[in-house]
Amino acid sequence: MQLSIDQLAPIPLQEKLRSRPSDIWLQSIVFSAPEYICVQAPSGTGKTTLIHCLYDLRRDYTGKIFWNHKEINTHTPESLAQLRSQEMSVIFQDMRLFPDLTAWENLELKRSLSDSVKEEEVSEWMNRLGIGDKKNAFAKTLSYGEQQRLAIVRALLQPFSFLLMDEPFSHLDNNNTLVAAALILEVVQRNNAGLLLADLDENNFFPYHKTLLL
Amino acid sequence: MSSNNREGILKKLLLRNSKKGRLYSAWIALCIGCTLLLVSVMIWSTFQDILKGKTSQDSLGSTFLTVSKIVDDASMANKERTQIQAQDLVQIKQAPQVQDVGLLTPANFNVSAFMGLGTNTYSTLLFLEAAPDRFMDQMPETWKWQEGDNTIPIILSRDFLNMYNYVFAPSQGLPLLSEQTVMALGFTLTMGEGAHQVNYRAQVEGFSDRISSVLVPQSFIDFGNIKFGANSATTISRVIIKVADPSDKNFTNFLENNHYTTNAEQLRFSKMRSIVEVVSSATGILALLLMAIGALVFILFIELTMAQAEASVQLLLQIGYSPKKLSRFLIRKYIPIMLSALLVAVLIALLIQFFAAQKLSNLQLYIPSIPSVYVWCAVGTSALILLWQINRSIYRAISAS
Repeated sequence: MQLSIDQLAPIPLQEKLRSRPSDIWLQSIVFSAPEYICVQAPSGTGKTTLIHCLYDLRRDYTGKIFWNHKEINTHTPESLAQLRSQEMSVIFQDMRLFPDLTAWENLELKRSLSDSVKEEEVSEWMNRLGIGDKKNAFAKTLSYGEQQRLAIVRALLQPFSFLLMDEPFSHLDNNNTLVAAALILEVVQRNNAGLLLADLDENNFFPYHKTLLL
Repeated sequence: MSSNNREGILKKLLLRNSKKGRLYSAWIALCIGCTLLLVSVMIWSTFQDILKGKTSQDSLGSTFLTVSKIVDDASMANKERTQIQAQDLVQIKQAPQVQDVGLLTPANFNVSAFMGLGTNTYSTLLFLEAAPDRFMDQMPETWKWQEGDNTIPIILSRDFLNMYNYVFAPSQGLPLLSEQTVMALGFTLTMGEGAHQVNYRAQVEGFSDRISSVLVPQSFIDFGNIKFGANSATTISRVIIKVADPSDKNFTNFLENNHYTTNAEQLRFSKMRSIVEVVSSATGILALLLMAIGALVFILFIELTMAQAEASVQLLLQIGYSPKKLSRFLIRKYIPIMLSALLVAVLIALLIQFFAAQKLSNLQLYIPSIPSVYVWCAVGTSALILLWQINRSIYRAISAS
């Protein structure tokens, strides 16, 4: 799996981009799985915008994004769904859980799409991240930290070649971060996938091959 | 997780805003629309059946007219002027609205009828006529005659029996006769004169609303005209014609301009038929409109439910659900509801047809107890259009999220 970015520049940020250098915006870069990339992005530099563009949640940009040599915005809704359920997974900064479903239902909804992970394993992952007792709690009643851990588990419940992460540990303490990062790495390695993490500061959550400044 | 559990979760997400009251209203609107459409098709199809005279008692749809030349002062002295010649036939065949023409062949020999009832005997001079079989509204199995047969089947105009029962018999102190009695009683027909006189047994086999005459099989008239007739050439004075629309101005003008006469009541009745046809078509258009409104209400209900679940649909698409998968889930939920409305409409239509058939049979109008093929075609077409439209609305609503 290959992710290529060519002269990418979000339209709302174009003015700002001319005034400062970036390793990603307006560059031509290729990421190949299983490559681990850290994108260091100070506030306001378009970290979430980058993740959303790569995941095809927004198209207000110039330049091109290719997933496996196919431009992302040329996908049909069906092939995009295929890409999202089989090739790329994401951990959103704002979690994006279904608030009126229980924690378990949120996970099951994702897991049943590909059935690539067993229910027992999901339970084990929840226990590892300390949310095993929250299975029947509605997502909207969970704390941000619990929601973030739930979002992490959900992102791992499908086969993928690239895992995109937008400040995945922003609501977690150090200990929980270490446990969550270990689980992510384990599943990424099992999938022989690449990962791209966007965060505010330099970090060593994963053994990165590249660290790029946004 | 079993797919049932996933279905349950999707139902929670996508259909939790689907209010029961709204669903019932949409269902009722769709059901009323479907029922009206089916009933309208049923009315149209039944009306067509009656008009086309598929049944023997097709008085409503009679498009058969007996046409002859007007007997006026000038033609009184010259019988030939009232006869229909070969060129007249060609002209009538080409007249507007005329679909078929048949000759009413009269007997050109003397016929007398004799009947003995106990000590009373009745006799009368009689006339006979024959019409081509395709113009007969009554075709009993016994409607055949060949040389050597001693019994002649007869079909009598129902008008004649009515005139006897309601006018003649009361004034003469004679007994009233039911159709069954007349059909049970035989009588004797005497033909020819002197040494060539022959008696036949005659049996009334049915009554006609279409042709005012005493009808015998064509084969007998052809035989009798040669054997008993004064001359072999048979003159024709009346023809029976099948007309698409007898109230058509062009047709009535043709009759008038060529000095033909027919039953004016039939022409007037046909105007009523045209009016009923227009009303039936208008009912159809109204029914289509109501069906469209019913379908629209149902589809708007689906779209409203979808709009209320838009955030969930968006998130489902973001986590990898495909529009097709979500559409299939929603279609599985809504199609049984749609089909149940159509099924109830079909049941109502079946009941209406059944009761209409019972009611009309009392009026001597026979329609089938089950709806015609047109109604089933309407059911199939409605189902397909609704399926397509619902499928399209759901997919569009999901793709737009």
